[in-house]
Amino acid sequence: MKKNLSYIYLSILLAGLLVLVACGTNTDDGASGDDTTTDEKPVLQVGTDAAFAPFEYMETGEIVGFDVDLLAAVMEEAGYDYELENVGWDPLFASLQAEDIDLGISAITINDDRKESYDFSVPYFESTHMIVFNEGAGITSAADLEGIKIGVQNGTTGEDAAEKVVGENSSNISKYDTTALAFVAMANGDVEAVVTDNVVAAEYTKNNPDANVEAITDTESFDSEFYGLMFPKGSEYTDDLSAALTTVIENGTYEEIYQEWFGKEPDVDALLNAAE
Amino acid sequence: MNDFILVIQDMLDTVGIDFKLNIIVEYLPFFLRGTLITIGVSLAGIFIGMVLGLFIGMGKMAKSWIIKLPFVWYVNFFRGTPLLVQLFIIHFAVMPSGSSTIASLIVTLSLNSAAYVAEIFRAGIKSIDRGQAEAAHSLGMNKVQVMRYVVLPQASKRMIPPLGNEFIVLLKDSSLGAIIAAPELLYWGRAATGQYYRVWEPYLTVALIYLMLTLSLTYVLNYVERRLDTE
Amino acid sequence: MISVKNLKKSFGKLEVLKDISIDIHPQEVVVVIGPSGSGKSTFLRCLNLIESITEGHVYIEGVDLTDKKTDINNIRTEVGMVFQQFNLFPHKTVLENIVLPMMVVRKWNKADSKEKAYALLEKVGLSDKADVYPDSLSGGQKQRVAIARALGMEPKIMLFDEPTSALDPEMVGEVLEVMKQLAKEGMTMVVVTHEMGFAREVGDRVVFMDEGVLVEENEPSELFGNPQNERTQAFLSKIL
Repeated sequence: MKKNLSYIYLSILLAGLLVLVACGTNTDDGASGDDTTTDEKPVLQVGTDAAFAPFEYMETGEIVGFDVDLLAAVMEEAGYDYELENVGWDPLFASLQAEDIDLGISAITINDDRKESYDFSVPYFESTHMIVFNEGAGITSAADLEGIKIGVQNGTTGEDAAEKVVGENSSNISKYDTTALAFVAMANGDVEAVVTDNVVAAEYTKNNPDANVEAITDTESFDSEFYGLMFPKGSEYTDDLSAALTTVIENGTYEEIYQEWFGKEPDVDALLNAAE
Repeated sequence: MNDFILVIQDMLDTVGIDFKLNIIVEYLPFFLRGTLITIGVSLAGIFIGMVLGLFIGMGKMAKSWIIKLPFVWYVNFFRGTPLLVQLFIIHFAVMPSGSSTIASLIVTLSLNSAAYVAEIFRAGIKSIDRGQAEAAHSLGMNKVQVMRYVVLPQASKRMIPPLGNEFIVLLKDSSLGAIIAAPELLYWGRAATGQYYRVWEPYLTVALIYLMLTLSLTYVLNYVERRLDTE
Repeated sequence: MISVKNLKKSFGKLEVLKDISIDIHPQEVVVVIGPSGSGKSTFLRCLNLIESITEGHVYIEGVDLTDKKTDINNIRTEVGMVFQQFNLFPHKTVLENIVLPMMVVRKWNKADSKEKAYALLEKVGLSDKADVYPDSLSGGQKQRVAIARALGMEPKIMLFDEPTSALDPEMVGEVLEVMKQLAKEGMTMVVVTHEMGFAREVGDRVVFMDEGVLVEENEPSELFGNPQNERTQAFLSKIL
């Protein structure tokens, strides 16, 4: 009986969706083919969600951040002109799938689920995670997350890390639109801890010195995750830009940019190892 | 994934449609759980909003402007500011610290829809010909009797279509709960998107479920309307 | 029975009734005529306080309507009113229209109320329409139901506000017939109408109003046959 219901459900679902998706895919195939026949390199369209300081955010109307500077260096190395547009988080993926844009850079974590649908460059940033909590909550390791309410930003490495400890889509995990909201929810008592990128956690404690929060890291439980440039599946630019990115990392430009934004040395070797 | 879905997936792949059914299959239990919460939150919001809205609508029709003023501003505020901001204020400032997000969502939806219901209620009463009340008064009925036996029964019939509209809007507005991580339907749609970085599979599924819910609601409302018409 | 003393009524700055005084006696049928906008309907509506009174007094059987202590709902049960637009309750059947105020206002029980309602419907010749909704009735039938509904309260006075003005010509007769019957039975009636035939035949007294003033009043034969005031003459010459 249960199976029957799910058949019926899926049949209805498919009938409705096929039309939409079919239309979408077909028109895109027609449009993208022409530009590549000329020798001149095309102007690449790059999408981002400029709401994740210090990687990409809006400063008096301009998109700025670590990702933005790195993108400029990589594009220069590869010899492409490009246009960076703030398209928002969910639309970024819809645009990539529809190939309205050529790549996305938005502190996007590389993982296996996503590799099914997209191609990634070599990694360009190593992310570790921190557990941020109200002072005195007594959390000393990732194991202490078991059984308490945890806030994360939806679709981020912090979410992955927390889910590895307490289980995927556990009812103790609340997924917020932005990390800022997760922190507000923690101040409000909705959640007891927020798991997020080390960089974001640092940014938050820097900007909210009165929040009385502590932050710890647990390198044993939390694997590092890596950010990459994201391309539509089968994109012709993946190899070009990956090569340029590797050059930028190896020739010291990367280190400069990293220093400028995070004020410390990057672990370049870890990045290059992860690429292999 | 069972065989049926594999067959469909094969068909999709063959015709070149990039649509991953496994995402939907994986998240289906969450979507269903979210749907239940969406239904519960919406029903609670509709019910509380109706009761509160009737009260506020009557307050707004008071003759004395001093009595009227708070009701007028209640409606102004809840109709004139974004629901999202109301949700933030109620969850993060008004409700006691640590209240469940679902409770905050219900309170916000109730207070918000009460403002709209109040206006629907007021407009419904105003739409009844003055002669009706005059005739009832001329027969010796007092104000309460006139309302109860003559004006309200007629006005309520006219209020059904706009109320139905309001209910459908409320049902969809409940999706804003995702922002404060109330685990309703859209919240799970976003979660699936966050995991796979794919928007069509989760969002179209979620949209379809909302569509089924609103169509069911429309059907119920049409039924009620027909029943009242033949009465 | 009804005593009106220096009645004035204004809508904002517009003075609609200017100092009207008149006494109406038990079992008398007073017909009020006059051009439209003369204030005759407003005058009638002041007699049961459906319209508020700006100045002056209206006494019904000695009770001052403008006195704040007066229970106006109680007075209204004694003063029935019939409207130009019928104002039947569309969500109630014909029978329910009549029974509802009996039960709600008079607090009579259902069985008694129904019995009385059937008798009234028979009186206005609509026994067969008890269970239909007002929408399916003709204008004349609606107005007869409205009269039956007002009579259901067993009022001592009946006010008629242009009861035939919204009717097709062929239906006027059936309504006037019911009103004539009422007059014969001795009901005290104040009738605002354009039906001069009715005024002549049934009226004990005809009152001519113009521009918020009670211009002239007399027995019908005198007022129609020998009008004294110029304005009355001008009005009558136009319509007769």
